Amino acid sequence: MKRASKIFTALMFIFLFAPIAILLLFSFNEARSLSVFSGFSLKWYRELLRDTETLKTVRNTLVLAVCAAGVSTVMGTAAAVGIHRMRSRYLRSALDMVTNIPMINPDIITGISMMLMFVFVSRLLGLANSLSFVTLLIAHITFCLPYVILQVLPKLRQMDASLPEAAMDLGCTPWGAFWKVELPELMPAIVTGMIMAFTLSLDDFVISYFTTGTGFQTLPIRIYNMTKKTVTPDMYALATLIFFVILALLLLSNLTDSEDGQKVRAARRAKRAAGRRAPMSPRTRRILYAGGGTLALAALAASLIFAVTETDDRPPVLNVYNWGEYISDGSEGSMDVVKEFESWYRQQYGRPVQVNYTTFASNEDMYAKLSSGAVSYDVIIPSDYMIARMIAEDMLLPLDFDNIPNAQYISDDFRGLYYDPDNAYSVPYAYGVVGVIYNANVVDQADTGTWDLLWNEKYAGQILQFNNSRDAFGTAMYRAGLDVNADDHGPWDRALDDLLEQRSVVRSYVMDEVYNMMESGEAAVAPYYAGDYFTMLDAQADTVDLRFYYPEPTNFYIDAMCIPSCCQNKELAETFINFMLSEGPAIANAEYTYYASPNTLVYENQAYIDYMGQEAMDILYPDWGGFTEKYNAYAYRNLPFDTLNYINSLWETLKIN
Amino acid sequence: MNKKARRGSLVTGVTSAPYQLWAVIFIVVPLIFVAYYAFTDNDFRFTTDNITRFFTATSSVTGAGGATGEVRTYMVIVWRSVRLAFLSTVVCLLLGYPLAYIISRASDRAQKTMMTLIMIPMWMNFLIRTYAWMTILQDTGILNNLLAALHLGRVHIIGTETAVVIGMVYDYLPYMILPLYSIMAKMDHRLIEAARDLGCAPAGVLRRVILPLSMPGVVNGVTMVLIPSISTFYISQKLGDGMFFLLGDAIEGQYVAGNLHFAAAIAFILMVALLAAMGVMRRLTDKYTYGGQ
Amino acid sequence: MANKIIELRNITKSFDGQVVLDNISLDIYDNEFLTLLGPSGCGKTTLLRLIGGFETPDAGDILFMGQRINDLPPHKRNVNTVFQRYALFPHLNVFDNVAFALRERKVPRQEIDQRVEEMLSLVALTGFEHRSVTRLSGGQQQRVAIARALVGRPRVLLLDEPLAALDLKLRKDMQQELKKIQKATGITFVFVTHDQEEALSMSDTIVVISEGRIQQIGASQDVYNEPKNAFVADFIGESNIVDGVMRQDRSVSFSGQTFVCVDEGFAPNEPVDVVVRPEDVDIVPPEAGMLRGVVTSVTFMGVHYEVIVDIGGFKWMIQTTDFVDVDEHIGLVIEPDAIHIMKKSEYSGLYGDYASFSNEFDELSDAESEADE
Repeated sequence: MKRASKIFTALMFIFLFAPIAILLLFSFNEARSLSVFSGFSLKWYRELLRDTETLKTVRNTLVLAVCAAGVSTVMGTAAAVGIHRMRSRYLRSALDMVTNIPMINPDIITGISMMLMFVFVSRLLGLANSLSFVTLLIAHITFCLPYVILQVLPKLRQMDASLPEAAMDLGCTPWGAFWKVELPELMPAIVTGMIMAFTLSLDDFVISYFTTGTGFQTLPIRIYNMTKKTVTPDMYALATLIFFVILALLLLSNLTDSEDGQKVRAARRAKRAAGRRAPMSPRTRRILYAGGGTLALAALAASLIFAVTETDDRPPVLNVYNWGEYISDGSEGSMDVVKEFESWYRQQYGRPVQVNYTTFASNEDMYAKLSSGAVSYDVIIPSDYMIARMIAEDMLLPLDFDNIPNAQYISDDFRGLYYDPDNAYSVPYAYGVVGVIYNANVVDQADTGTWDLLWNEKYAGQILQFNNSRDAFGTAMYRAGLDVNADDHGPWDRALDDLLEQRSVVRSYVMDEVYNMMESGEAAVAPYYAGDYFTMLDAQADTVDLRFYYPEPTNFYIDAMCIPSCCQNKELAETFINFMLSEGPAIANAEYTYYASPNTLVYENQAYIDYMGQEAMDILYPDWGGFTEKYNAYAYRNLPFDTLNYINSLWETLKIN
Repeated sequence: MNKKARRGSLVTGVTSAPYQLWAVIFIVVPLIFVAYYAFTDNDFRFTTDNITRFFTATSSVTGAGGATGEVRTYMVIVWRSVRLAFLSTVVCLLLGYPLAYIISRASDRAQKTMMTLIMIPMWMNFLIRTYAWMTILQDTGILNNLLAALHLGRVHIIGTETAVVIGMVYDYLPYMILPLYSIMAKMDHRLIEAARDLGCAPAGVLRRVILPLSMPGVVNGVTMVLIPSISTFYISQKLGDGMFFLLGDAIEGQYVAGNLHFAAAIAFILMVALLAAMGVMRRLTDKYTYGGQ
Repeated sequence: MANKIIELRNITKSFDGQVVLDNISLDIYDNEFLTLLGPSGCGKTTLLRLIGGFETPDAGDILFMGQRINDLPPHKRNVNTVFQRYALFPHLNVFDNVAFALRERKVPRQEIDQRVEEMLSLVALTGFEHRSVTRLSGGQQQRVAIARALVGRPRVLLLDEPLAALDLKLRKDMQQELKKIQKATGITFVFVTHDQEEALSMSDTIVVISEGRIQQIGASQDVYNEPKNAFVADFIGESNIVDGVMRQDRSVSFSGQTFVCVDEGFAPNEPVDVVVRPEDVDIVPPEAGMLRGVVTSVTFMGVHYEVIVDIGGFKWMIQTTDFVDVDEHIGLVIEPDAIHIMKKSEYSGLYGDYASFSNEFDELSDAESEADE
């Protein structure tokens, strides 16, 4: 019995810590892979320390958690005291019920409900920037409050009602009695509540996802937005560091505790047997006080600093909204383009500028935020069809090319494309073509070359498919020779049949998971972008031999820099776009992302060609034989809402089969 | 209660005023917005289409035998979500209950240590933790390498419902253990001694005394696991290999597709169903546990 | 006497290096009402828990009907406990609490009903079957606890300060009732208390314990009339304990006088402790007294006065129905059979002087209930 429970406990803790051990291990991985361990290295820790954007989100997350915990602790404690003394039974139970709502409601509902309200109110008041740090803070305080209240309230109910009476009897005012007698009694519960609030706020992703806005991104959101590329091991390094910091803090608190703890513990043990409440050592009490006080102060200070820095005369701020992992960020010795721009600007114009760089996970995600009207960005980098839609909906501003002279270096192939026929609203940033990646150790050369490989039953269980409706349907439609931009339902229904047929051979529907699965040999066939193929190639396991080809026809996409109509500083935005087009930054970005660049300064640059290698150049920049025509024929276009809605329901049908 | 009401009128009520205001503005009003969006179309005209669509939308599915049939899309999604959430909750309970019990019976120091250990993973980002599970569970992952090294053959877990359940159990287990532990640690030890004294073997003590007394903790734990697992979308995407579509995925998918009103409708229905379920559960437990709150 | 049910042989037990029970040996007989009496922290509850099976001794043996049961878990012992503050199951009603042990033994339903009813009528709780135990008064909870422990017909019932939480009047009633129940059932009761009056009025045998050691075992009267040492004399009833010297058999001197007494068997001129109960001293005019002193305080106690008299610097307590005034000079007379002689012990000199006496002080130390382990 004893033995069995020991084994069980051990197994449970192994279960709880297995993923953390994995994080630890792979944070020291030489390669970028999260599934193939190639050698010990501290490189990701160096990367992490250099990754200013990530560190900024860490800081944001901490500031948010401290503020949310601080405010909700103070307000929650006050509320608990008030509720406890409330005379009206009716009001009390009503409040109890309301307090329970955020706990009973799933995060996703809390998030959506607050987002709907913020968006609606900001539309009503015509506020441009209503989704921001403040809304995020409000949301976090709201879901933390119940936890504080439900910690403090039971403690109040347990407390001897004559305690404050005794204090008042001895000459305390009611307030004095509260501060000197009740509050110290409540302190352990308050501190527990605060720690819970802090933890919840730190780990929250869902609610933040819906309520976050311009320029303020937390760590979980940044990680989620890495979905387009891949979660990098420096995130593992970060997790590992967090783990050790917590461990150190806990050890420290245990050490200070054990000095004077012996006596109190013995007493506590004895009392426990007699069913009485254990006394708290004066030292523990002091520590709790000090801890609580420090945290409260820190919260206050942080919110003050924040308020000040928000309102103060700061350098102009440029809000850039881009795909996750889509800009050279200084890792592995590359150029930190954002930082570079800031220092270049200061040199050029003699005054500072601050770039607020945030990321999104999909065009739709970005569109949802922008169309809510509750955020404000200066530069965005959406894809072609989304640009068309935003132009149609008057959400983009025409660019002043006098401020963007470097636009002349964009290849002629990229002018007059369907989404921006007059080249008025956008400057291409990168482009990609969907190809098929396969493991040559598994797949017969003879089976390659066309889309049919994705349907080949020989490789059942080893084939990957896109986990988003448009791209998945695209593969089926290119294969069947259908129009990927059809308005009527027929082609889509037909494609669904093909996808349903394919489902039995599909291993997984993936986005960024494709990296792990292809690198490790978990899957053998996947449709993905040429640029990403090179990322996988760098990290592939010894037993894997990845190859790449373009089926015909296939999807072309272009991501281009635009200025949304909510832009606050258009000239600065154009300066930034121009900077992105200049040789250094453009090459850095192309080398970092591995995507093809439409910029002649890049692909005609010998250093760049040498860096990529001729083989890669052949894949990334093949002779398309009329790029513009092919692009206009096969690229995705914006579809009407009803069609999108229809595709979405077909997608759900595919998923529930 | 009289005593409390009599004294300290100075501090009464006033201190909870900010919270009352906050609760109304940021808890109650947003829910009204969910209802408002759920019952309006894109031009904010009243409609029940969103609600009807949820209950009536159909898809044709191909069964195992190749026969096709019409099913109600969202009913299938709801059923799968409920089933997986229920399964995860049961597993959490089966694992968490004995663990909470073992911890609550350990020495003070061991209790503190073990509870901290259980809390630590919650401090690491849950997206990253889930990601790590992918590394463990995939066909060429750590688990399979381990099994292969032990000559135990391979298992295919990733992309199955099992993987999703493992992910949910992992992420939500602490939420089960915490309330169970706190109620068990507070439990009067003499009641257990009394039961032993009256002839109960340890197993009997568990069944006849500890279990009924810990019911409020069980209810809390079940609530705290069931609710996030019924609405999760990240875990099903990552560990389910995108093969499963759960309620959370449906809501998020509609949100990303810009279909806010339908997303609100799904959220609204989920919310009403959960509130009703919780109401019933509270009532039942009030009836079957002593004294109530 | 009747058969031994429980034998404790050289039991030693310590917690965290602190010795709580030190070499205890004790026999408990069939059909006996035995009380473990001692101040808080003396180890009496631990002793009870050892018998119940909730603790195991560090050394020594516990025998139940001749069988060694050191390692037998509580649920296999034919012994039941009435816990301090009752430990009733809050999730069960009165009937289910009482039926608990029977259900555990899979007793047929009908028999359960019948035996529970029997027990409830024994403790006068018929009609309360379906009441929640959390809605009972202290006295009622007490009765449920007793019924619950007795329903399984144990050979021995252990009672851990069962009356401590009741108010005075109820406590007196319950004392009578417990005694009655013990007589009616014929079950051996082992009763733990720190209240000497309770012990005296209920017990067949009293075991006085202090600091983990048994000080005296005996019938109520014996323990009261012939305490073995200063601790027992002081703990049970009020005592004036003075230093004396045994001159020879039946002659002792203390307070500067020599008295005739009834004790013998001491060495000539052996230093001894002399005990005189306050109620055994008569007040006479100073010239007629064997001892003379000055009254320093008088307290009216209802039935009698409690008088503190200073005799040569030692304060005596005397209980009398005659009124005397403070500062009055009085004489005292002590009959030979009122003098009890004890051998010197480690407790000598610690008790028996009423110089610092105050009623309140005594109350305080009594009110603190048991917390010893």
